Amino acid sequence: MDILVLMKVVPDVVEELEVGSDGKSLDTSFLRTIINERDDHALEQALLLKDKHGGKVTLLTLDAPDIDDVLFTALAKGADRAVKICGVESVQSTQTAVKLFGETIAKTPGLLPVDLILTGVSAIDDLDGLMAAPIAQQLGWPYAGVVTQVALADKTATVIKEFAGGVRGEYEVPTPAVLGIQAAEKPPRYVPVAKVRAAMKSQTIESVDAPAVEAATTVEVQQMAKPQVTGHAEMLEGSPEEVADKICELLAKRGLL
Amino acid sequence: MDLDPVRISLMGLPAWAVLWVLTLGAFGVFGFRAWQLVGLLLKARSENRFDQLGARVMRFVRHVLLQPRLFNEPSIGLAHFLIFWGFVVYVICFNWSLVRGLLPVLPIPYPDEFGPSAFFLDVFAVAVLISLGAAVVRRVFFPPAHLHLSWDANLILSLIGILMLTTLFGGSFRLLGEGKTSSLWTPFSSLVAMVWPTMTSPDAHRWAKAMWWTHMITVLFFLVYLPYSKHLHLLASPFNVFFGNLRPAGDLSIAGGSEDLAAGSAKWNEFTWKQLLSGFSCAECGRCDRACPATNSGFPLEPQQLVQKLKKHSIHAGLAKPNGNGEKLIGDVITEAEIWSCTTCMSCIERCAVLNEQIPIIVQLRRHLVSEGQMAKTVQDALNNFNRYGNSFGKSDRMRAKWTQALGWKVKDARKEEVEYLWFVGDYASFDPRLEESTRKTANVFKAAGMDFGILYEGERNAGNDVRRIGEEGLFEMLRDKNLQAMGKAKYKKIVTTDPHAFNTLKNEYGLEGVEVLHYSEVLDRLATEGKLTFKNKVTGRITYHDPCYLGRYNDIYEPARRVLKAAGAELVEMPRSFSRSYCCGAGGGRIWMEDVEGVKERPAESRVREAAALGVTTLVVACPKDLVMFQDALKTAGLEGKLVIKDVIDLVEEATRQA
Repeated sequence: MDILVLMKVVPDVVEELEVGSDGKSLDTSFLRTIINERDDHALEQALLLKDKHGGKVTLLTLDAPDIDDVLFTALAKGADRAVKICGVESVQSTQTAVKLFGETIAKTPGLLPVDLILTGVSAIDDLDGLMAAPIAQQLGWPYAGVVTQVALADKTATVIKEFAGGVRGEYEVPTPAVLGIQAAEKPPRYVPVAKVRAAMKSQTIESVDAPAVEAATTVEVQQMAKPQVTGHAEMLEGSPEEVADKICELLAKRGLL
Repeated sequence: MDLDPVRISLMGLPAWAVLWVLTLGAFGVFGFRAWQLVGLLLKARSENRFDQLGARVMRFVRHVLLQPRLFNEPSIGLAHFLIFWGFVVYVICFNWSLVRGLLPVLPIPYPDEFGPSAFFLDVFAVAVLISLGAAVVRRVFFPPAHLHLSWDANLILSLIGILMLTTLFGGSFRLLGEGKTSSLWTPFSSLVAMVWPTMTSPDAHRWAKAMWWTHMITVLFFLVYLPYSKHLHLLASPFNVFFGNLRPAGDLSIAGGSEDLAAGSAKWNEFTWKQLLSGFSCAECGRCDRACPATNSGFPLEPQQLVQKLKKHSIHAGLAKPNGNGEKLIGDVITEAEIWSCTTCMSCIERCAVLNEQIPIIVQLRRHLVSEGQMAKTVQDALNNFNRYGNSFGKSDRMRAKWTQALGWKVKDARKEEVEYLWFVGDYASFDPRLEESTRKTANVFKAAGMDFGILYEGERNAGNDVRRIGEEGLFEMLRDKNLQAMGKAKYKKIVTTDPHAFNTLKNEYGLEGVEVLHYSEVLDRLATEGKLTFKNKVTGRITYHDPCYLGRYNDIYEPARRVLKAAGAELVEMPRSFSRSYCCGAGGGRIWMEDVEGVKERPAESRVREAAALGVTTLVVACPKDLVMFQDALKTAGLEGKLVIKDVIDLVEEATRQA
């Protein structure tokens, strides 16, 4: 069972984000990126399937600063091959990313055939989850998203999707298929730095040139701004009796008593 | 008449021949066992403990011959000391007696026929008997917690008792056999002789020989039994002490180690020979368990048991053929929960009478677990944060110096300007909102004292002390290398830090040649001595001071903070557990990122704040950022809020030096 995992980086929200001078994009001069968390879960799910069924796990990413660390970490965790698409900005609109991944998968020898393509179902810059489904469409493969469990059998994958209120749905998907992973069955594994360093010495990352794709213009950002601070919570201080009095007063003032 | 015990016949054979058979048999079994055990050590990993022979000899003299650590527990210290020295006297005399018995043609007397040696045997027999009495009374009526009350120990005490009684009785019979009733050389045997004044000379002869044979056979049995029992410590511990650790306890690297540290140890032969020798040396006395904060709080770790488990497993698995007995060290023998319970506070190492090093063994086990990705989710998150952001808070490394913004003045960037002191601020002091104010006070006090200092700003990473003790060796190296890189850009003469954990690793594990690494308590002490700190508004009130593990036990720094606190005007009261006996707050060794397990009784930090509160002091003063956080939390859970305040040394210094 061979699996291709698509990964991309997103802006790291631990860092302070600044709006660029055009007022509609992030200022990239100090932007730091981090691997999309759900893509990390997709990798973990692929590794769990590999642990169970064997096969090869290949990673495909868009180039980004520090992406080599991410890829070597994945190789140290047990992935077999890592390919990065070079010559692109690290943070792309989802539509462009779809085109870049789609073209590269089709054109790069040895990436296909696989039984599954796994990727995060969404990302902080792709809340709609518009990555996986269009790639499935492009390949003519079935797609299932918001997946939290995958069981593989010959020619089919049984996947679990979780809905609100603890409702779970079990679906059977013919393979090859594209799955959008919400969460892996287990939290992503830890691989010690020493093993990552060993991977850096013994393994290599392949680079492919980004295919020429037209910038997608379907949706355009009109304006980007930091959240406005609008008001503060009022702290009621004093003894419990005093606080209780103040609460009554407030409620009465607002006509609730 | 001849008193020579080998000039008789036993079961039709000359007695000396019987003695030969018994001796060869006993020494054969003993030698075989010793050869087996040494063979195990030879199969273990290498570690260089053959350097500094002079210091090793001194250590041997101190801890084997004088045994100060045994006197730490007065109820057994003197008794053990006398039993040990009695043993030495008896071993010498036994061998003498044995040689004489095996080679009857030798023209020498038996040791009990020679006045001075007879005197030593006589006096030590009584001293050891009294000591055995003390040991038995302690074991039976006043057993300290965690003393391993084994059948084994009782058998050995009985055997030693037999040896002493046969000596005294034998001495009395010898006197009577010689037609005397007393001798100045053997006063106690003379007393015993008064018990059977009417014994005839031939009877006395027979009894004297019987005592000699009983004595010799008991010793030979002891020789066979010893290497299979807890009394293996008697053979192994002198070597264990001699090959003890002479490097700083706060350095977890292995000198002369040939293996990759990062992979850790999961099998008995993946430990160093010295670590296995620790197991053979353990006397099951329980000093470590009694000192261990994890044990006392009900965590599933007892250092003694852990060392014993390693011993038993290494013997079972190492001697089983061909590939061990299928028992897995981690999982079957030692549980993961045990391995993670350790706070690395060093109490066990500090207390161990045979100078075992328990923490490196635990860290070796942790390294294996980390290399397999086996750890609590919270620890994994912390490690991921260290890896990405260089701190456990998961905050941007660019925010590291954000605390300086509210200072109102600019702290020098040591990477850009030359400074005397490089202040390594540390994670907690930089990022924890509860500590920011103390950190700013430190900066202001340093500045007011005219200190020339700077920081590394976002170039600083966590120093890696706790990361290394979690067992993530590769990550520790990465953090160290990044810090060294940033420090390489800076010009400074000394390093100062408020965090004892950072202090320990910077001082002992960074290999900083020619740079003095100081804890801020030492710097404050120097500033006060030099008159650069003037305590104008002396603080008042009774306080107590908590010695941080990584400052006190690990680095032997106890007095500077105390001097500073006294100079600031505080009335210092000591807690029962102070100085090297200080009690860990429970945060070390990565425990601060782990959840408590079920069944935990009183957490170490709660025990500590109760101890402080019981003194009737107003304030518990700490010299470690983690302590401040831990004890403040413990005040809440122990219900002591409002009764005790936790303050940093710097709080008092700042208050006392503030311009009125």
